[in-house]
Amino acid sequence: MSEITVFQARKIITMDRTRPHATHVAVRDGHILAVGDAACADAWGTPRHDTRLADAIVMPGLVEGHAHMMAGAIWDYAYMGYHDRIDPRGALWKGLDTLDAVVARLQEIEATLPEGAPLIGWGFDPIFLPGERLGALHLDRVSTTRPIAILFSNFHLMCVNSAALDMAGYDGGTNVEGVVKAGDGAPTGELQEMAAMFPIMRRLGIDFRALSQRESAIRSYAEVARRAGVTTVTDLFSQLEDEDLATMLSVTDEADFPLRIVPALAAMGDPVALAERALALKARSTDKLRLGAVKLMTDGSIQGWTARVKWPGYVGGQPNGLWNMAPEQIAETCAALHAAGVQMHIHVNGDEASEVVIDALEAAMRQASWPDHRHVLQHGQMMGADQFQRCAKLGIAVNLFANHLWYFGDQHVALTIGQDRAERMDAVRSALDAGLSVGIHSDAPVTPMGPLFTAWCAINRVTMSGRTLGHAQKITLPEALHAITLGAARTLKMDGEIGSITVGKRADFAVLAQDPTKAAPEALRDITVLGTVVGGRVHLL
Amino acid sequence: MTVITGYLGAGKTTLINRLLAEPHGLRLLVMVNDFGAINVDESLLDSRDEDTIALSNGCVCCTMGADLFMAIGDVLDRRPRPDHLIVEASGISEPARIANVALAEPDLSYAGIVTVVDGQSFAQLHGDARVGPQVRTQVDQADLVWVSKEPDDTQLAAIAKVASAPVVSDGSPTALVHLVADKPPKAAPHAPHATYTSWACNGVFAGDIHDLKQALAARPPGLFRVKGTVLDANGKMWIVQAVGQQIAVTAAGDGAQAGLVGIGLAAHLDKASVEAWWSTALRV
Repeated sequence: MSEITVFQARKIITMDRTRPHATHVAVRDGHILAVGDAACADAWGTPRHDTRLADAIVMPGLVEGHAHMMAGAIWDYAYMGYHDRIDPRGALWKGLDTLDAVVARLQEIEATLPEGAPLIGWGFDPIFLPGERLGALHLDRVSTTRPIAILFSNFHLMCVNSAALDMAGYDGGTNVEGVVKAGDGAPTGELQEMAAMFPIMRRLGIDFRALSQRESAIRSYAEVARRAGVTTVTDLFSQLEDEDLATMLSVTDEADFPLRIVPALAAMGDPVALAERALALKARSTDKLRLGAVKLMTDGSIQGWTARVKWPGYVGGQPNGLWNMAPEQIAETCAALHAAGVQMHIHVNGDEASEVVIDALEAAMRQASWPDHRHVLQHGQMMGADQFQRCAKLGIAVNLFANHLWYFGDQHVALTIGQDRAERMDAVRSALDAGLSVGIHSDAPVTPMGPLFTAWCAINRVTMSGRTLGHAQKITLPEALHAITLGAARTLKMDGEIGSITVGKRADFAVLAQDPTKAAPEALRDITVLGTVVGGRVHLL
Repeated sequence: MTVITGYLGAGKTTLINRLLAEPHGLRLLVMVNDFGAINVDESLLDSRDEDTIALSNGCVCCTMGADLFMAIGDVLDRRPRPDHLIVEASGISEPARIANVALAEPDLSYAGIVTVVDGQSFAQLHGDARVGPQVRTQVDQADLVWVSKEPDDTQLAAIAKVASAPVVSDGSPTALVHLVADKPPKAAPHAPHATYTSWACNGVFAGDIHDLKQALAARPPGLFRVKGTVLDANGKMWIVQAVGQQIAVTAAGDGAQAGLVGIGLAAHLDKASVEAWWSTALRV
């Protein structure tokens, strides 16, 4: 008989209404054997008592339903963002609020680099630094010989110094869309979109695939998750090539690897072949690597004015956004994957994109019956009560981008969709009222992974400037805690094994210093994460 | 590098299947979205695995995966490098965003955007509220519009309204390769009569670089490509690469020899109009 361990905690929040609170949880074979007091497992044998969590609050391991593996390895590069941020090792990087501060940090890092190595930064966002634009002139104050490239937070733009411009052969004679030029015709150093960034990325070895797939990237991702109390995380839009899969399987199989990863295969090419591949991958799932879902990209982003939005469009009169897949291709892919029994996570930012997808799924369901498909609309930022009602009838789940309210809410009011629609963005209240399975997410590394912060966003709906965006869409603290545990688990079809501290489920816990159920709603984001327990193994920070 | 684009069902894959199989004598590397739809004659097949088909004529077809730019990087790392790269953009892509990389990357040269248009459904598509703008952009950005399926006059009129590039509704795939590929094709023994018009001159130009750019912009619309080296009136040498709407003129290195060549489809270009254009250009 395997060993029984009884963990003692200051308080256990189970998220299970049968026994909402406890002080002890017993674990055997990585699963929850009993919940209650010190004697809870006595009927099962003689347990070993573990007091490492005795002073902590324990709740179900948090579930991040929309993030990307790159959130870990991107920290191989220097953080240049406006907001304070914690790296995977736990170090705090203070936000940079002036270009001088950006240059000063780069100078500091530059001094530590070996000769010949490029200096690469990430997370810079000019939207928060109005006034002078970052250019090669600033970066040349750091070095004129070492190539320097700073990726912007949206990954669509970068700024480089003159040494890097030289490597790509960019000069006054260059006439390439995206190579920004000053009045005198010389490149400013800013490069927009992949085509213009490509020669730099290739020469400096900036490789997004490696940032998502190599072994150190997977371990870094686990560190990011552990610091956020997350025990199950997605990697939404993964290429899952054979060699990458082999690495993922071997790393996640290690007994001490502290995370369950749910990658979703990037949709491309023929839908029937895609479905076959997804099903073949599903068969290779393990305890800590859950394969088989597919991710579709339909439109762009609202803050980039590339989301497909319904009338009246964007407040600045920008043209309607871009499809990444044509509506008929969306319909064809939804039909084939639904018929094959493949769960889909579907990126929809604008309300026209969500409408097209709901139409496509409805049509797919007329062709093939699969009552509990649980396809998930991801982001769903502009969905209204009408669309949520349709989702309820059709069995579609949603995962809403609550972090956007704080990070981009002010921009949405002023620059993208205007006050009326911004107030009902990421309408978690409406989605819950429609009876949907609802998750809320960070889209890390776009915003930092931290479900307690995400819950705080959905409860308070406060923007960076302090404005409350849509009182009517606020949710309660218990609802928010449900969304970051069982709600998100449902969107991954894993609510039978994670999301609450219930006998039979996996022993995955978030370990906290304070009690979130006793926190003031505005203080939820200040709760300290002490670590996690995954499959009964303790991973304290 | 050439980008082939066109809305779903326009006929991109049919064109690509034929480009791979035609006896053009070039080692093409074609990157496609939908690998399963590639269908080449068994007798041409050298090897085939999950994501690459190699043909006995030296052509290769592979999938681009989820990251097109990464795949282009992989192509540039291949040894030996193919003679010409053709990228099939997805049915809804904005082709200039992809083709732009050929202008940016020193190891690539731009060989144009070919937009395939369904000659029987364009007029309806281009008015569609949801996809119309993106379909129009594909045609607007084209350096060459390739009409598949027999078009009627209504359709041709709708296409012509959006396209600023030559519209070809009767071209052969071989002619297309000769038009876009940088390397002159090796003599193909079975080549049918030429479906393209070529032109050459000594590259001595009477004006300066600005006059030269203006002259290139004003060339006959059927003259798809002009490339070579030009000696200007100030004694400076310039490398010229003009493809469709893209014109690049850069300073030539030492030891360059003047000489300019041009090519267009026979049905859209006669030699006399090219000669007339160039002699006018020389009178600056």
